[in-house]
Amino acid sequence: MTELLQQVVDGLGRGGIYALIALGIAVIFGVMHLVNFAHGELITVSAYAAYGLFAAGWDWWLVAPAVVVIAGVTSVVIEFVAFRWVRGAPDFTMLMTSFGVHFLVQAGFVMYVSANFRQFPRPGWIFETWKVGGVSLEVYDLLVILFTLLTLGATYWVLQNTMFGTSLRAAAEDFDAARLMGIRSDRIIRGAFALSGLLAGVAAVFWLMRSGQAGPTAGLSPMLKGVLAALIGGLGSLTGAVLGGVVLGLAEVLLISHLPAGLVGLTDGIVFLLIALLFVFRPQGLITVRRAERV
Amino acid sequence: MHIGVARRVVLPVAGSLITYLLLLVGGVAYTAIGNSSSDGLVTQMLINAIVVLGIQIYIGNTGVLSFGHMGFGAIAGYAFAVCAISPDRKAVQIPDAPFGLTEVDLTPLQSSLIASLIAVVVAVVIGLGLARSGARSGAVAATVITLALLFVVHEVAKNWIDLTRGGKTGLSFSPLGKVTLQGRGWIYLALLLALLAARLFKETRFGRLAQAAREDDLAARSMGIHPALQQMIALLLSVFVVSIGATLRVFELGSINPRLFFFKYTLLTLTMLIVGGRNSVAGSLVGVVVISAGSEITRYLAGPSVDLPALDWILRNGLTDVFLGGSMLGFMIFRPAGLLGDWELDHWLAGRLAKTPVSQLPAGHPVDGHRSEGELHVTGVVVDFGGFRALEGASLTAATDEVVGLIGPNGAGKTTLLNVITGLVPAGGGSVLLDGDALDGRPSYLVARAGIVRTFQNLRLFPALSVEENIAVARLAVAGHLADRPQPEVELLLRVSGLGELRHRRAGELDYGNARRLELARAAAAAPRFLLLDEPTSGMGDRESAEMVHRIRELAELVRAGVVVVDHDLNFITGICDRVYVLDQGKVIAVGTPDEISEDPVVQAAYLGGPVNRSN
Repeated sequence: MTELLQQVVDGLGRGGIYALIALGIAVIFGVMHLVNFAHGELITVSAYAAYGLFAAGWDWWLVAPAVVVIAGVTSVVIEFVAFRWVRGAPDFTMLMTSFGVHFLVQAGFVMYVSANFRQFPRPGWIFETWKVGGVSLEVYDLLVILFTLLTLGATYWVLQNTMFGTSLRAAAEDFDAARLMGIRSDRIIRGAFALSGLLAGVAAVFWLMRSGQAGPTAGLSPMLKGVLAALIGGLGSLTGAVLGGVVLGLAEVLLISHLPAGLVGLTDGIVFLLIALLFVFRPQGLITVRRAERV
Repeated sequence: MHIGVARRVVLPVAGSLITYLLLLVGGVAYTAIGNSSSDGLVTQMLINAIVVLGIQIYIGNTGVLSFGHMGFGAIAGYAFAVCAISPDRKAVQIPDAPFGLTEVDLTPLQSSLIASLIAVVVAVVIGLGLARSGARSGAVAATVITLALLFVVHEVAKNWIDLTRGGKTGLSFSPLGKVTLQGRGWIYLALLLALLAARLFKETRFGRLAQAAREDDLAARSMGIHPALQQMIALLLSVFVVSIGATLRVFELGSINPRLFFFKYTLLTLTMLIVGGRNSVAGSLVGVVVISAGSEITRYLAGPSVDLPALDWILRNGLTDVFLGGSMLGFMIFRPAGLLGDWELDHWLAGRLAKTPVSQLPAGHPVDGHRSEGELHVTGVVVDFGGFRALEGASLTAATDEVVGLIGPNGAGKTTLLNVITGLVPAGGGSVLLDGDALDGRPSYLVARAGIVRTFQNLRLFPALSVEENIAVARLAVAGHLADRPQPEVELLLRVSGLGELRHRRAGELDYGNARRLELARAAAAAPRFLLLDEPTSGMGDRESAEMVHRIRELAELVRAGVVVVDHDLNFITGICDRVYVLDQGKVIAVGTPDEISEDPVVQAAYLGGPVNRSN
């Protein structure tokens, strides 16, 4: 029982980050039907930003909010440079464009910084643990859960109570209809990228606290997890994405603790395999949002 | 038929041979004039060409974006290495290989074929998964499944030390990592076969039906095409070709490690394919040449021999990857179809050799055969969308010698009823019978083969295919499934629809009226017993819609099909229909001749809200 509780806490810690990333991916999918495989580049950029800021002598208290803002701005810039041009293009083109951005940013960092990973200090205190009735609570996990909830709460408030939020939900519900209703796609899409970037920024802070390094491929793993979580949630569904992230986090923790020692190195591969199987048997995702193709 | 053979076999083979010779001559010339490294470069380029052609067979024909082909490449590469490396070398590197593989001693050719077959067997499993996930052009689930394959294979290669020797060192053929492949003979042969396979596959039934599904999955299924089958065949051929290329790559390098077939090579080969034009076999090769040259140039510029301090900031290590990523992105944004689009050398040759003047088109013969009497019986169909009941016991009958109209206000359930009949929407109750055979529950491609073919409210052609090919593909899709129903010739349909002069145009370039005509001709090509038309005149003016009445009647007469037509336009409906059903809130509220319907007070109240004499 304690063991299970422990795993749930660990899983929520992981899952919270995935949920934030997945939510960003779902938001963008909602407004332009793009599955953004370049979403992880926001985390890569954040990682290098953090590295640079630490080198300049900043502290985590300042680096964290700076990283969030930088991720938000980067997201808007990427939209302006790349995705703006493929709005309304066939799915294949958009998918490939996002991979193009992914590869290009990665290659850019290899060229201008280095192919090697750069280390920066991790805040030691967040890895302290409190023992509560046999469950050891890591400050880190609690922080992630707390901030995930706060961020999701703020996002929810924005989505429910602002004009932007309403338009965005309408667009996610029915992209074409929303456009017909006169929703300014330009502004909504840019706003969606900003929101998605900020969410990625919050996720990046926690991801980087644990990894403590910046490298050209730093965003690959979080991106894959985020895309998988969004797909588990049935793409486009914002609630689904958040649940998908939590499910993925829990699944990973359970796998790691139950796999035989020799296979732990394969955790990511096995998660991937399970998710591939999920799509084979439930292509619409675990959490189904009915969206019949109009004919 | 002779024209068909020439166009689909002889010319493509000739075109491929010419392309092949050009590539070879170019390669040999560059080897001869180049420096010491150019020999290896050309060899690599030719191997990459085989791999890219292999990928083209799948991505080009199906439009499904696969990142997993290098996963197959890795499987084949390792299988090849494990089979072909000599037992004494294996005793040093992988003494504990499972299944006694350490002892296996096969020739490179045997190993290559076995390795490729192993990859193909894996491809069968992946292909089934892709089919289950509903793979179609641009489908994300399919891309993620293929990515999963790439990652899983990579992880296994890194961790299955007994078999692969892990990620650090990998397996090698000789202690010094010497090049093992002597001469390019095998590469030349494999390239020729890959080129012919890719080019001819495009012209096969499987290739053409896959392309139609690539263009519009839903329309394809409604025309009797089973995309999953076509995609599976494309995948298996594609994986076989890629695997042969992968084994050559391993043999040429003399070693393999998990990184050899991972993201980097995926990026390289996909960029080649995309830049050249993924729908074109010639384009893939152009992409290979352009990207190989570009990579070499950037590598040279970033190398030590170029010393331009002013440009130092850009001429650095990693420039090649920036070039690849940038090319991929740039082409997607500015020229998503690639350099050549879907151009093929033999199409161009055909255009040069035979300019058929329009006036000399064969006249075409009306379809022979008796009118087969038949009836479509739809009874008590119920459909629920969540809490909303779209159809509540709707019934309809139609015979093959009549035109039946279906009218009703927006949201009455007209299109939903067509969707139920054609198997796109499952019914919660009721039945659909064609001559007494139950159709409900059958997937749409089987409904189409049974003889019920539809058009779509929002017009779904195969935009990148020519007008002629749109019709030809529809004939092909149901050929062999028609019992004794005669199929109208493509020529006849072109003539009747007045599309003869536009036959080589892309369907996507047609104006609205012609596009509607083509959709109708395409439906007729499938030799339907019933044509289901969803708002064929939407967006048309009076004159056009009057012309449409004429055309629908003519085509229905030609293929001897009954017609069920949904429309808003009362003039059109009364002008064409023998009987009219009025649908309101999911129920049929009236049936009768157009005159009876327009005088029915219930109908006037529910639908028309006043006198019928509506003018536009």
